[in-house]
Amino acid sequence: MSKQKKQGTNLLYQLIAEARSYPDTIILGRGDPDFDTPPHIVAAAKEAMVQNHGEFTPPEGIAPLREAIANRVKRINNIDVDPATEIVVTNGGQEALFLMVLAVLAKGDEMVVPEPNYNTYHDSMKFAGAVKVSVPTSADNDFYIDPAEVRKVITPKTRALLLVSPNNPTAGVISEPEMKEMIKIAEEHDLMILADDIYDLFVYDDFKHVSPASLPGGKERSLTLNALSKAYAMTGWRLGWIVGPADLMARVKELKAAVSGGTSIISQYAGLAALTGPEEPVQMMADTYKRRRRVVLDALDEMGIKYGVPQGGQFVFADISFTGMDSAELAQKILSEQHVLVYPGSAFDKSRAQYIRMTFLQPEEKLREGLEKMKETMSKLQVSR
Amino acid sequence: MPSKTKATILQHHQQNRLLNTAMPPLAMRNPNDLSADDLLAPLDERVIEATVSALESGQTHYVDVPGIGPLREALAKFLNSSAGTSAQMSNVLVTAGVQESRFLSIHLISEQLGKIAIPSVVHPGVRKTLGIRPLETIEVDVDAATMLPTLTAIRAALSSGAKLIYLESPSRLTGATYSAEDVAAIAELIHEHDAAAIWDQGLAVWADSSPSLAAQQGMAERVAVIGEAWPGMGLTSWHIGYIAAPEPWIAPMQSQKQIMSICTSTASQYAALEASNLFEQTYPEIKKQLNNARQQLLDTAKLDVLQGGAVNILAIRSTADIERLQSAGYDVADGAEFGAPGVVRITITGDDTAQNIIEQLA
Ligand SMILES: Cc1ncc(COP(=O)(O)O)c(C=O)c1O
Repeated sequence: MSKQKKQGTNLLYQLIAEARSYPDTIILGRGDPDFDTPPHIVAAAKEAMVQNHGEFTPPEGIAPLREAIANRVKRINNIDVDPATEIVVTNGGQEALFLMVLAVLAKGDEMVVPEPNYNTYHDSMKFAGAVKVSVPTSADNDFYIDPAEVRKVITPKTRALLLVSPNNPTAGVISEPEMKEMIKIAEEHDLMILADDIYDLFVYDDFKHVSPASLPGGKERSLTLNALSKAYAMTGWRLGWIVGPADLMARVKELKAAVSGGTSIISQYAGLAALTGPEEPVQMMADTYKRRRRVVLDALDEMGIKYGVPQGGQFVFADISFTGMDSAELAQKILSEQHVLVYPGSAFDKSRAQYIRMTFLQPEEKLREGLEKMKETMSKLQVSR
Repeated sequence: MPSKTKATILQHHQQNRLLNTAMPPLAMRNPNDLSADDLLAPLDERVIEATVSALESGQTHYVDVPGIGPLREALAKFLNSSAGTSAQMSNVLVTAGVQESRFLSIHLISEQLGKIAIPSVVHPGVRKTLGIRPLETIEVDVDAATMLPTLTAIRAALSSGAKLIYLESPSRLTGATYSAEDVAAIAELIHEHDAAAIWDQGLAVWADSSPSLAAQQGMAERVAVIGEAWPGMGLTSWHIGYIAAPEPWIAPMQSQKQIMSICTSTASQYAALEASNLFEQTYPEIKKQLNNARQQLLDTAKLDVLQGGAVNILAIRSTADIERLQSAGYDVADGAEFGAPGVVRITITGDDTAQNIIEQLA
């Protein structure tokens, strides 16, 4: 393998490539549920192949899917949207994210980004020529976003505030009082809010997910994304959406048309089936992740690794500073020695080289095996503590 | 209080003339819609079977950013056999449709090379995607008969510093194609000016002869080819396309593809893979039908058309004809969106298109 130093997403892809070269790799890195898409959704896709395969797909998505999305965001996120004018369907959460950034940020504009965060925000902002203004968060207080810190970094060029809750990779959840405070800040400084709800169904203990657009003053200034990838095990279908106020969404629609024209008709019908079909498979998966989260946290406790309690999401962001190693080096070591893939924190934020991200997206048995293997490497390192 | 920030953002977008370019629909919206980019074709049962079988066996997860290996190989093979190129799998990027191909190739290649030359008449998706981020562009004049950029205009654009030129052959408006001599001359000009090209040959399968620029000597390193994956196989609304390009350009386009969509839908990829196996058997018949329909329209409806080539489209310029079509209830693609006001395009979708039009116009 090339030892050339890669960063960010490229570093992750390099590790994925090496992980693939071992037949027995246990992947605790990538955010791809181990479950396959539930069969009733595949069956609906088949039906659409027969009935709807040639249908016109407007850039904003087909009407029945937009209806279903409107119902979903009302029911789960408490956001009122008009399916005719306030929704654009996208190629996964990823395209939604890219379009939200393009919609709100132009060259030189700043966005406040709690760090660490999902690296694609950074990549998309770079494409738009926008500037990231970081607000660091830390495992010590479970990645709480301090409003005072947010206020401190706002300048006349700040256009928007990014709120990913639950966050990737930290798994931090923004509580309702904090969210209200963030909206207050946005109102005070006249900022837009980019909200990423992709992990909204995965919240643990007593934590609750709240969408900024559901709170007073939130909707008018928010674009909110979501996708079926994580909750319905549909990462390969590439189906997501953005909701927001009609005036801005009219612009998002033009951006969507310019970037990719439309979204696969088959994925849209599959998405419709997911949103209108039985909830049990989703619940079953969510319950399973909850159990596995406990398994991972117990193993980390045994290894003596500190972490911010994952309040949501499908992963834990663990502090490996005691090893004295850089996270990319450690991830490389765990991968080469144990064939276990974890993600280095430095790939999410250069200043987080003392963290690793581990997902719980493997069957429990495999997860335990991966953790045992990891323990071997970690115990050797612990000697030097 | 209304947000000033939002008002500024909205104004910024509203003033973006390029971004607000209107586009014809990709697929027909109703039986009288002749404005669509692509024809409505049946979907072979075997495509459905293969796709469902892939999905049922768990191909529902993220796949490699540039596309699944077998599909990239099939695309390389298809391009090499149909267009005479010499692409390898590593030269191919699977996209979520031809508009994503336009976006990625235009923005990422021009980022490396500089000023891009754009025909004054071109698919509106090109202008629309130029609205995403400011690029230095120069317009290339077209021939009034074919609506393809003239060699003189191409030379002028390259001489004035354009390092990249976007060309369609067949034209997405008229269906006209460059001849072998023209393509050789374009290659020569590109070579002479140390430039490069994006070559949209999506409609090439519908023309009797549409030589590819990428197949010319020395052009493999200078040309990115884009198009839709297997036209006529019923996959229009599945949004699946490709870019075949020199490897040094694939890397940045692949990175951008990761940023904007991670990968292309697996259902669409497996469907396209199966379509690749059936294409050779299926498409000659479809092409024959389209050709018959087109000929019938030309002979019987006596439409005043521009010089074309691809059998699936006709560009019409007589005001009387355009009015006749519109008053018979047909939607037509407005040439103004392509940069050719006064011209409209109709898409021939099957062997009954001509019959219907002739009856309606009678
Ligand atoms: C926070 C966040 N947003 C968006 C995405 C994009 O997801 P997808 O495009 O698979 O729907 C991800 C994927 O990991 C994510 O973690």
